[in-house]
Amino acid sequence: MTNRERAMNILRRKPADRMPAVHFGYWPELLSEWARQGKIPAELAEGNYDGSEKDKELDRLIGWDFNWSNTRGPNMGLSPGFETKTLEVLPDGSRRVQSRTGVIERVKPGITSIPSEDDYILKDREGFEEQYLPKMRFTPDRVDTEYFRSFNETRPKDVPVGLFLGSVLGQIRDMTSVIGMSYLLYDEDEELFADIVDAYAEMQYRCVKAVLETGAKFDFGHYWEDICFKNGPLLSPEMFDSLCAKHYKKRNDLCREYGIDVISLDCDGVTEKLLPTWFENGVNTMFPIEVGVWGDQFGPARKKFGDGMLGVGGMDKTALRRDKAAVDAEIERMKRLSAMGGFIPCPDHRLMPGTKFELVQYYAEEIKKIRL
Amino acid sequence: MSIYSDISENLQRGRAKLVRQLVEQALEEGCPAAEILNEGLMPGMNVIGEKFKRNEVYVPEVLVAARAMNMGMQVLSPRLKEDGVKAAGKVCIGTVQGDLHDIGKNLVKMMMEGKGIEVVDLGTDVSPETFVQTAIDEDCRIICCSALLTTTMDVMADVVKEAEARGVRDKVKIMVGGAPVTDAFCRSIGADKYTSDAASAADAAVELLCAV
Repeated sequence: MTNRERAMNILRRKPADRMPAVHFGYWPELLSEWARQGKIPAELAEGNYDGSEKDKELDRLIGWDFNWSNTRGPNMGLSPGFETKTLEVLPDGSRRVQSRTGVIERVKPGITSIPSEDDYILKDREGFEEQYLPKMRFTPDRVDTEYFRSFNETRPKDVPVGLFLGSVLGQIRDMTSVIGMSYLLYDEDEELFADIVDAYAEMQYRCVKAVLETGAKFDFGHYWEDICFKNGPLLSPEMFDSLCAKHYKKRNDLCREYGIDVISLDCDGVTEKLLPTWFENGVNTMFPIEVGVWGDQFGPARKKFGDGMLGVGGMDKTALRRDKAAVDAEIERMKRLSAMGGFIPCPDHRLMPGTKFELVQYYAEEIKKIRL
Repeated sequence: MSIYSDISENLQRGRAKLVRQLVEQALEEGCPAAEILNEGLMPGMNVIGEKFKRNEVYVPEVLVAARAMNMGMQVLSPRLKEDGVKAAGKVCIGTVQGDLHDIGKNLVKMMMEGKGIEVVDLGTDVSPETFVQTAIDEDCRIICCSALLTTTMDVMADVVKEAEARGVRDKVKIMVGGAPVTDAFCRSIGADKYTSDAASAADAAVELLCAV
């Protein structure tokens, strides 16, 4: 069996010879660390991104089968994006930088942490209609139809490849910042935020449709949201449902018309409260199920939503920083979850600095011993 | 409905401009500044904090309520100073060195201010030395450290060590919080208090300030 067949059979509850060893990439700092330790060649630490040739080379060194976050898609962002430019250099050396999404971020030399959001442009209807709406319109050049027409012949055949379906709310949060989103949701012009969501979603729907109409076939569909944190969602589940449910349904119904029956969604944090909106509107695969840092869980979701709820992730990646006993305990837990069917273990986010190379090799080897 | 209830209700709804107007009106009507704070603004933030703890409201509601609180405080603060009203205590807060993420830190700050605590905000990427020196210089009784990343949370241990090295560990309490931080981690580094959310952090700060 190929890893593509293994993975998709498991998610479709069909026979598979063994569990594939699946991962979700690395923090760049970890790859540099491994290169300094002599574990990997230095060239694999630079420019290594999901699904790239370097990523695959690293898979071979470690023993992974593939990276789940391996998708192709049209240009579904702001087009063109805002010019990235430094607005101000502050006395402490930090810079105020306008990002491609229009958010003003505070960045500091030598710090690779998520930037601090300082300000944002998308504050009112005038800002939306004049500066953002023109960048949210569908235009045919968003979709590389030539690439997608030959996709079935040129795509990797041995690993699953997903169609990137965009983001109903996460990318808008990136345009407004968390604070800006909060103010827009609650300020006097209550319809504005819904109009932003609707306009962006319509463009993304048309992009997805244009890709599917080329005849390109994908193993799964995949969203990115990251709209939850340690204590749950960044907005009320009711408000999320009211703003977003119809857009998930429309996009996912379209995917199913074209035979895509596995639709995963990448959301960090504790996702439990938003699962009903996602699941009831066609998203059926949780990813990456951050159990280690945030305490998210797959088991309760399966219990609540039944066998139709699938999962990729859920392995506490922090065990890979500790010792063999911690990894063994996680493997045992993964065996129990895998026995439920429709679940593929995967470290619950990008592997972080301090992760031990040999423990990752050991985990990848052991997870492949799971028989189904 | 009294004007204090009105202030509290509108603060909970995040109606910042209206809260500011109501605070101005209350002052014009001769209400004592401390009473406006204690019976209008703070009860409103307390309600939001409790609801946040119970997942009945979410980050946006807290942020808009805090903005309303700030608008009210802009009017009220000068009068509180004139009246000699003292804060419930003083703390310094920051995101630890190497980390620029500040939403959680800002939420905690807002919640603490909503409890009448004076907060010295050190911003992000704060060194252990700055935390401790500020606590000494500003007479802060609590140092609050925030971190988003597993890669930066270890700096919190350095803050504890720095307080010990400077000989102030018995005079200052150290609170920790943030995405990857847990109670076990707090205990392992010898900090005094971990809380899982911003509202609980404010409650804990009040308790610690009463104790020290």
